Amino acid sequence: MTAWLRMAAASAWARRGTLVWVIVAIAIATALLLAIERLRHDVRASFLQAVSGTDLIVGARTGPVQLLLYSVFRVGGASNEVRLEALDEALRHRAVAWWVPLALGDSHRGYPVLGTTTGYFEHFRYGDRQPLALAQGRPFAGTLDGLYEATIGADVAARLGYAPGQKIVLAHGLPGQGSGPMAEHADKPFTVVGVLARTGTPVDRTVHVSLEAITAIHLDWMGGAPVPGFAIPAEAARKFDLAPKTVTAALVGLKSRSAVFMVQRQVQAYEGEPLMAVLPGVALDELWQAIAIVEQALLAVSALVALAGIAGLVAVVQAGLAERRRELAVLRAIGAGRRVMLGLLAAEGLWIASAGVAAGVLLALLAQTAAGPWLHANYGIALVGAAPWSGQALLLLAVWVAAMLAAIAPGWRACRMALADGLAPRA
Amino acid sequence: MAGAAIAIAGLRYAWPGTHEAVLDLPALDIAASDQVFVQGASGCGKSTFLGLVAGVLVAGRGQVRVAGVDWAGLAPSERDARRAATLGVIFQQFNLLPYLSVVDNVLLPCRLSALRAGRCEGGMQAQARRLLARMGLPEPAWTRPAAQLSVGQQQRVAAARALIGGPDLVLADEPTSALDSDTRDRFMALLREQCTAVGSTLVFVSHDRRLAQGFDRVVDLPALNRVAPTAAEVA
Amino acid sequence: MLRKYFLLVGLSLLSWRAWAQVPATPGPVHPGSLQGRAQPGAAFRTIKWDALVPPNWNPMAEFKGVNFDLLDDGDPRAIAMLKKLREVWDSAPVHTAMVGQAVRIPGYIVPLEDSKEGMKEFLLVPYFGACIHSPPPPANQIIHVKPQQPARGMRSMDAVWISGVLEQDRIDTHMGVSGWTMAAQRVERYEEPQPGRR
Repeated sequence: MTAWLRMAAASAWARRGTLVWVIVAIAIATALLLAIERLRHDVRASFLQAVSGTDLIVGARTGPVQLLLYSVFRVGGASNEVRLEALDEALRHRAVAWWVPLALGDSHRGYPVLGTTTGYFEHFRYGDRQPLALAQGRPFAGTLDGLYEATIGADVAARLGYAPGQKIVLAHGLPGQGSGPMAEHADKPFTVVGVLARTGTPVDRTVHVSLEAITAIHLDWMGGAPVPGFAIPAEAARKFDLAPKTVTAALVGLKSRSAVFMVQRQVQAYEGEPLMAVLPGVALDELWQAIAIVEQALLAVSALVALAGIAGLVAVVQAGLAERRRELAVLRAIGAGRRVMLGLLAAEGLWIASAGVAAGVLLALLAQTAAGPWLHANYGIALVGAAPWSGQALLLLAVWVAAMLAAIAPGWRACRMALADGLAPRA
Repeated sequence: MAGAAIAIAGLRYAWPGTHEAVLDLPALDIAASDQVFVQGASGCGKSTFLGLVAGVLVAGRGQVRVAGVDWAGLAPSERDARRAATLGVIFQQFNLLPYLSVVDNVLLPCRLSALRAGRCEGGMQAQARRLLARMGLPEPAWTRPAAQLSVGQQQRVAAARALIGGPDLVLADEPTSALDSDTRDRFMALLREQCTAVGSTLVFVSHDRRLAQGFDRVVDLPALNRVAPTAAEVA
Repeated sequence: MLRKYFLLVGLSLLSWRAWAQVPATPGPVHPGSLQGRAQPGAAFRTIKWDALVPPNWNPMAEFKGVNFDLLDDGDPRAIAMLKKLREVWDSAPVHTAMVGQAVRIPGYIVPLEDSKEGMKEFLLVPYFGACIHSPPPPANQIIHVKPQQPARGMRSMDAVWISGVLEQDRIDTHMGVSGWTMAAQRVERYEEPQPGRR
């Protein structure tokens, strides 16, 4: 048995020049299929654990998915701000246990800045009702003395090399929204007072400051730009009324989760401001439905790539048939039966398919190691450390079987041709 | 090995799908341990003849018995098995699997037939080496891939492969056509010597009458064949 | 638009009845479990949503004699009545006799906590589209479910059967609102019963 496997291996090795490209094609197809499957799975898991224990998200009337995306995932922008006063009134309900306002709109070196209250650190949960924890320092104080304090997420600290005590300058505009020295609030630098422990959610790449601080840095700005000749220095800002007037969204927690519909109705019916209240779980599902189409399309593309690789395999095996014919004639003449010949071809198919799939798995692993940190830092998606092949055994098996069949099919024809030949191999 | 090595009676063969017979041999007997030279030019049906003797082709009419057993009475897998056990074949060229080592090429028949492996004295590896030594191949060459040998050396390896395990019958189809005269003579002598030593019957087919020196018997195939060669018959 | 609300209100009332008519696969009935708390290991009794409502509760009692067709959508009376209806629904009491019963009930999922292991918390409501297209159900028609094993592969508005022991959500009584909770032992997909198998 081993002799035959060795023979098949030797035969394949002799033709390695052409076979290696087939293996490359199969490897790429396998890697693609694996990567997309893993991404699908991990993106979903990542998103699911981004928010927990929040019953409602309230914001301006846009779409539920949009509200979810910018309030929890810091992706995209709000169409409108909402008045804090209006929120306060709308959320006055006996079932509301707590609510935390969120103000987005500034950034720091590509990372979003979140203005909020100290209640955020108390009430926000992620994953399985996990509270936020601090790796270093403390949350910002939220008082006038500690006005320009910032608490940063784990990724911001890691990638920019920040520690408590670091001075940072915030810039106006969402990350990536074209900034420059003109957009920076350079006259009001902040001090990092704390670094949050890693959560695997968008919290890691956020810079948290108090709502009052956001008001302060925009005191002498109007319409998104500093008013010329009207600069208010950092210290003087404390004397102004820094109570925030508008925020972007709010997270709401209820005393009883069944009361969510009542509160949602009240918010949506509030007449003072066009508001919208969204259940995070429902909005997430809507997001998935929208993404599902893209997912299916990606999978279809990968399947086609796999098909292309296998077609290449068939082509290469076909091309080598003339030579195989002589080989097979020799074997036939010395008494190798049909089973032996097919076995040899199958063994060769086995080598090629296994080499291709193994190379694909390796490629996927490399891609995951390389892209993982980038994905996490930029999109908050944590590629769970699991090996890329776990849970995808069926997919791999399918590719492997298809490759084997593709290798054997032309060989079958060669067999039949060899049987029709006479004794001597044709020149 | 008493009795006829090959016994052909009333043989008629036509290509599948045609009615015209290309080979019609009323009778041919070859005794065991004989060394027979079969002469025939290309196109006279000698490759068909060899195919029938080897059991690769099966006659529609008549009998082809090798060592007492008619090929037609066996199932295809049984034919293959019997061929592996009782036959050795040498072609004009492309005898060997180029990517296998010399030794592995020689061992092929023993891997295909346990019966044949069992007949090797001291095991098939030892027997292979002995044969290669007798064929005059230097030891360093034994582990090299067969493709790296010269044509003359390759033919000798083919001969060793044909002889391993002491087959009843060795068929040689123009094995020297690709060799120069010196190598050819040496090869012929070596082949005949080893066939005698092993006790196998040798059927040597060639168009070149001059090579018939030293054979026990000469058979003229065109004379025996009652069917005139057609244009479709290509050697 | 308010008109639609009323229509939907009426429809949803009817839909309770519709759920009642749904030929549910009957579960085993044990006489002992009809009264008192369910014993551990008791079989689940299949119920319908109106079993959760106290028998004497009639939310439409206040609106007897009102002809909704004659009212305009923008009519302040219509708006006021709708508001009253909502208040009535919000303070809908639970049917205390059902507390502690082991039941099996079908409904639609509103996800609360989802994870990669499965859904860990959700609300079960009696009709499709609650909170999205239709007005939400009254407080005694919502069950806050925490499955004992996370429910895999469930999505928003999936139809399921849940089986478990009904408990009352004992939060601040001065809220005046309490609801149902259940630590569901089983969450199964709802399948349409075959026609002819009534």
